[in-house]
Order: sequence, then structure tokens, then C-alpha cells
Amino acid sequence: MSEFLQATVYGLLEGGLLALVAIGFSLVWGVMNIVNLAHGAFVITGAYIAWKLNTELGLDPYLGMFVSAAALFLAGYVVQRFLINNVVNAPIWMTLLLTFGLDLLIVQGLQLLFTADFRSIHTGWGSDGLAIGDVRVPYGRLAGFGLAVAVTLALVWFMTRTRTGLAVRTTGMDRAAARLMGVNVRHVYALTFGLSAALAAMAGAILGSINTFSPSAAGGFTLQSFVIAVLGGLGNMWGALAGGILLGLVQAWGGQYLSGTLVNAIAFGVLVLVLIVRPAGLLGRPYYEARAEA
Amino acid sequence: MSPVLETRDLSRRFGGVDAVAGVSMAVEEGTVLGIIGPNGAGKSTLINLITGHVKPSHGQVLVDGRDVTGRKPWAIAKERVARTFQIVKPFRNLTVRENVAIGAMYGPERAGSAREAIAQAEEALERVGLGERAELAPGELSVADARRLELAKALAMRPRVLLLDEVMAGLRPDEIEPSLALIRSLRDDGVTILVVEHVMRAIMAVSDEVLVMHEGRELTRGAPEAVVKDERVIEAYLGERYARRARGEDADPDGGREPEGGDAAG
Amino acid sequence: MNVTAKERPGAAVGPRVGGGLGGRAWIWAALIALGLVILVLAPTYLLLESEQRTLASVFMFVVLAQGWNLIGGFAGYPSFGNVVFFGLGGYTTAVLMAKAGANFWLTVPAAAVVGLGFAALMGIPILRLKGHYFAIATLGVAEGMREVVINVGGLTGGNKGITVPAVGSEATTSYPGNTGFYFYFLALAVLSIVVVWAVSRSRFGYALRAISQDEDAAAAAGINTTRAKIAAFALSGMLTALAGAIYAFQQVTIYPERLFSVDITVLMVVMCVLGGAGTVLGPVIGGVLLQYLSEWLRDNFTDYHTFVFGAIIVIAVLVLPMGIVNFARDSWKGRRIAPFEAVRQYRL
Repeated sequence: MSEFLQATVYGLLEGGLLALVAIGFSLVWGVMNIVNLAHGAFVITGAYIAWKLNTELGLDPYLGMFVSAAALFLAGYVVQRFLINNVVNAPIWMTLLLTFGLDLLIVQGLQLLFTADFRSIHTGWGSDGLAIGDVRVPYGRLAGFGLAVAVTLALVWFMTRTRTGLAVRTTGMDRAAARLMGVNVRHVYALTFGLSAALAAMAGAILGSINTFSPSAAGGFTLQSFVIAVLGGLGNMWGALAGGILLGLVQAWGGQYLSGTLVNAIAFGVLVLVLIVRPAGLLGRPYYEARAEA
Repeated sequence: MSPVLETRDLSRRFGGVDAVAGVSMAVEEGTVLGIIGPNGAGKSTLINLITGHVKPSHGQVLVDGRDVTGRKPWAIAKERVARTFQIVKPFRNLTVRENVAIGAMYGPERAGSAREAIAQAEEALERVGLGERAELAPGELSVADARRLELAKALAMRPRVLLLDEVMAGLRPDEIEPSLALIRSLRDDGVTILVVEHVMRAIMAVSDEVLVMHEGRELTRGAPEAVVKDERVIEAYLGERYARRARGEDADPDGGREPEGGDAAG
Repeated sequence: MNVTAKERPGAAVGPRVGGGLGGRAWIWAALIALGLVILVLAPTYLLLESEQRTLASVFMFVVLAQGWNLIGGFAGYPSFGNVVFFGLGGYTTAVLMAKAGANFWLTVPAAAVVGLGFAALMGIPILRLKGHYFAIATLGVAEGMREVVINVGGLTGGNKGITVPAVGSEATTSYPGNTGFYFYFLALAVLSIVVVWAVSRSRFGYALRAISQDEDAAAAAGINTTRAKIAAFALSGMLTALAGAIYAFQQVTIYPERLFSVDITVLMVVMCVLGGAGTVLGPVIGGVLLQYLSEWLRDNFTDYHTFVFGAIIVIAVLVLPMGIVNFARDSWKGRRIAPFEAVRQYRL
């Protein structure tokens, strides 16, 4: 029983972090209809930046994550403004290919710079934890979960209460109309993408302190972001949090009782099923454009 | 003889809103029915319900007395019911001629081959006056020509019933007359036409009867001249003040201010 | 009046009307015949074994790219899981040969049926999704199928792979060798090109193009969009599965990781799109170019080759979004298009 509880706690906490990974991906997809196949690469890049700061300057990843976020915000802004914006109106495989190419570039670049060795970021306090009965709750994971919730709240506040956030949402609803109302759509798109990259990098920095990582881990994060975005509904911030937690739990429980690869198959099965039955996700509003026929 | 097109208590709900509520109407063959109503009255949804692009929540659609409710758009097309879209939907990767040929290829009288259909498309193109621009891409057409293309695509299907969704929108006055002439000539050929429109001049000029929709329901139906003077219609378009004026109760509904737009009263 | 002899539409977005031969049909026919003769005679007179192997893989990718062309290029439904048919075809052949002792040639129609059937079955629910949703759903199916194959170890050998009895007394079919597979793949490539060419000139092809542009308008024009999409997907699945079948025999031992690898999907998409999605020649050009490029990179940049490949994809998408064939066509007509100009019609 305590094993189950332990798995549940781990799943919950990990799920929060996965939500942080996915929230930017969901935002970009929901607002701009862009699926960023390089998203996982942003996560890993954030991890490497925090790792470098940690090994060179001894910086705690919870501080280093701000540097990662800032760096990736800039990078994301530039990528969107000068690369992706060019193919936004093209058939959708264009953005998919473009981001796939970027993913290759980034992941391979990281591999050339840092080799494929597994790394991790050391914190003095991360592995200490509380004990609730038989269940261990490590501080590192708990802090990560707290951060995820805080970020989600901040993002929701930003989207609903600030002018820029409103601009982002309206651009997501009707690009042409937003433009006619004076919104600089190119800039808003770039901002949104930059934000997405920053959040991914932040999550990466924290994840790097909890698990080991290497460039090859990027793909897994992109895939998980997909599942969470679909589960939670595109562009839905709370949905991403819920979806992340759900995925975290399912993976944790699955890992307890099933062989590794079967868990993946089940995850894919669930994904496909959700897409067919309710593409809006468990929390999303019915998204009519997902279906081809009325 | 049953009417060529009929709806019975046709309804469609979206969430909490009745886009179309209990519309029952019948259209005799070879007549032109104008459909008017303020924005949001449900006109386009009605068209979509008839053509199968939206499934009804309730009610029936009958063609020649046959129940075609809820059938897919291509099945409706086989019943020789063709339509244009309010926001034109050309196939941008094909030439104007090929666009029109699609209707000939897949319409009720399927052309034998792609080549034949492309040849048949000529007829429809000439009818709408796009013969010279057959080789262009749809993106290179003017608004009026784009609307003509939309119409030609429907005509290539040799329909018995033609549903026109705001074909006059965005046309200049000198462009409207040829469109009206075309509609009249189609009616003379025996095609039954439903014209959804905001341009009152067009509706008055071409309709045998006019159906007024308001908030998803049928408000009234009758001869154009009568409908346009109907105070309920005026109220729906311009609000109660103007309706009172129509009844003679209020000489100056705006109290000296400039009235807002809308030319429902002609 | 032959429409195809005249000018093609200019600023049309997406797949163009392809397959037009016009008055120069005889020249094209002669060129093609000549090309085929050269390709058929080449192994005997011109090519080393290693070169034949390379060309065989080029031909295979041409088939994969053409297969994708039907569903992604013509119908506009970007499948990111087409490799599932490759894997299913390959495993059908491998399992039938290894477990049932079947002759390779018997497994070929079986693989075709499996590819066609699975695509049709999968298409029924999944082709109702659009755009990105469709892309991920297909990706999900491919990834999921890989896991399924791994977990049905008794039949498929799971992660350890499965070996086709190709040599010795157990061989059910004699192993054709490099030259043999060169011809098998060449034949399949020619078949795939002919199929796509036939589709592009037929009513079916027009239906697909209409669907890719505006499905509502296509339906209103009388096109049974459900049937057309499923047919395109089934055809795509069949061709891809056939490629997988031959591949399995060629490789002798196959593994789920390779046969269901998402990299193969991406390669076929890149080849088709860069060559020109929705055209007949596009996937051919894309396949040839990219496969040779990929091998050249591997030989000359061993450490960096994936990095450079990524860079090439990014640059190609920005410079030639409409694909090589359409770019060449427009340039030929004197519509001078400066390199980054091409992408302007897609720009935000």
C-alpha cells in the first residue's frame, strides 16, 4: 500500500513539473496553431544552462532557472519572429518540418557541445525531504510542484488581467481582427513563443536537478507535452496543469505495475482515443475546428 | 404535386442558443424565394441545415417529398441541390475552369472523365461571364468575379434547386444588375432558387416571395411589397421606434438625432 | 482545348495541378523510356554493388515519399505515422516467411492487403480529424503499433527482432542479392510513380485536391469526402507496406525500432515536401536528392551529419516552401522568384 502511495506522491509531484513543461507548448498550439516539435529541445537547453551555471558558479538551479528562462525567452522570440513567422500561413507540414529541423539542430548541437553523457544538477537540499508516514516527499520535487502551480496562476493572471495577455488571447481567436485593432501580431506571436520557450527552460532547469538528463531526452518531453496539451485542451492553462498531473500519475502507477514499454503503448492509446472521442481534451471547450465534418 | 423543397419544424441548437427554431416552409418549383432577416437571424444556418453541412437538432428537410434530413452534403448534391457560400470557398490550387469542373465531375450528372468535365465547365463559365478568365487562379479574381466563380461552380452541377448565400455582398451597384438578370434567367429555365440577402433592392427585384427570419424563427412570409411594409419586419430590423412610426404613432422616432443605418424600409 | 498546355496558376497555395504533359507529351515519353532503359541496364554495365544498394534505398524512399504524397500532398492530410504501414508490411512478410515458411512472393500481396486494410480501418475514425490533430493521431498509432509489436514477442520476436530464412536449406525463396533488390525496388518505385500520375489526372485526383483546399466546398460539390480520403489513405498504406515487405526480405533481420521509426516518417515527409507535395515528380526528386545528400553527409561529416541535416531542413523550408518542382515550374515561366521571396506568400 505504501508503495502505491509513494508512487502516487511521486506521480503527482512529477506531474506538476510535466505541466510546467507542457504549458508553453499548449499555449503556442492553442494561440498560434503551431506545434513546436523543438519544445523538448528547449527544455533540455534550459537544463544544460542551469547545469553549466551550477558546475561553473555553484548556482542553485532555482536561481539558475531564471537565467535559463531569460535566455530561452530571447531565443524563442528570435526564432518565432524571424523563422517561424515566415511559414505561419503555409500548409501545416511546413511548421512541423521547420520545428523538426530546429529540434535536430538544437539536440545535435547540445550533443556536440556537451556529449551524450547523462548529467544532473546537484542541490544541497533537493534530496532531503519530509516523511509522511511511510511516504517520502523530497523537497526538490515538492518545490518543483509548487513552482508549477505558482507559474500556472501567474500565467492565468497574465492572460486575463494584463493588456499584453489580452492581446495574446485575442490574436489567438482572430488574427485578422486583432491586427485591425492595432495589435502587432508578429510581435505578439514572437512574445508568446518566447514565453513558451522560457517556461520550458525553467522546467528543464528544475527537472535537471531531479532526474538525470542528456540531449536524447528532448524527444520524450515533446511527446509528453503533446499528450498533456491534448488532454487538457489547447491553450487551456489549468487544463495543462490537470493534464500534467494526470499523466504523471498514470505514468507513475503504470511504472509500478506494468512493463515500461506497455505503459507507453497505453499512453499512446489514450492519446489517440481522446483525439477521436473528444479532441477538445478533458477540460477544453469543444473545438469544432478539430473535426473535418460538421 | 409536392413542393420541390420543404422543411418541417427544422431546428438547430448550439449550446444554449437556438440558431434556427422550428422553421417550416415549402418552396414550389421554378420560383424564387428571398430570405431576409437581421444579422444572426439564422439564415445561413438554415442553408447549412438544408445542404447537410450542419445536422439539425430537430425537424426534417425534404426534397421532392423525399426525406433527406441529416444526409451528408454530397448526398444532398446528388439530389440536385447546389449552393454558394457566403464567404467564397474557391479551390485555390486549381484554375477557375477546374474549379467549375469539379461540380461537373461530381455533380448529379457525373461527367465521364476529368477531361469531359473540364469541357462541360465551359458552359457554366459562359453563363456567368467568366469565359475569358478561365485560366486564372481564383486568387487573381476580383470580388465580383469570385462571386461569379462561386455561382458557376454550383451551376456546373445542373441543379434543380439553387441556394444562394449573400451572393450580392460587396458588389457595386453596376455589378448587382447582371447578377439579378442571371438569377431571373435561371428561374426562367426552371431552377428553384433560394436567395439569402441583405441587399434589399436585389430581393425586391427578383423574389416571387419573401421569407423573413428573426432570431431563428420565421417572422412572416409573403409577397415582397407586403413583407417590406410589415411592421414586425421593420421592428426586427430597426427597432421598436421605427415600428411605431410605421404605425403612425410617433412622428419623429429619433427625437431630432440622426437615425442609424439599415435600409429595410426600402 | 487542352487546359494543361497553357499557363498554370501563379500564386496558388499548396499542391499545384500537376501531371500536365501538354503538347510536349512525346518528348516526355521518350525521356522516360530512355531513363528506364538506362536504369534497367545500369546494374549490369555501370554500377558497383554498393552503388546498386544505394540506389535501391533511393528507390525505396521514392515509394515512401509517393505514398505520403497521396495522403499528405494531394488530400492535404499530413500523416506523421505512415511508417506504421512500412512496419506492418515488413512484419507481415517476415512473420509469414519465418513462422509459416511462406515464399516471399506469397507474402507480397499479403503485405499489400495488410497495408490497405489497416489504413482503411484506421482512416475511418482518424480521418475525421484535421491538421495537427490528424498528424499526432497518426503518430500515436505508429508509436503505439511499435509497442504492440514489441510486446507480441511470441509472434514477432519483440525487441530481439525476427529473421527471415534467406540462406541455406531453410530458405523458402532464394535471396536475390543487391542486384535483385535493386530491380524489386525499381519496379515498385515505377509502380508508385505511375499510380500517382494516374491519380493526378483522374477525377479522384481532382477530388483530393479539392478536399485539401476546402472540404466543405468539396462536399457541397458532390464529392464523398469520407470515401475519397479513405481511398487515398488506403492507397498510401498499400504502397508503403509493399516497400516494407521488400525491405524486410532485404534486411533479413528486422527490429521494431527500425521498422516503425519516426525518422523514416520524417524523411518521407521532407522528401515529398521539398521535392513538391502534390506533384508527380516532386517525391522522386526529393527522394533522390535527400537520400544522396544523407549518404554524402554521413560519409563526409560523420559527427555532424545530423546537425547539418537539421540545418538543411530549416533552410530548405524557408527558401523553397513550395518545393523544387513548383519552384522550377514558376521560374521556367519567367516568374522570377528570388530565394526568400518564395516564402512571402506564407509570411505572417
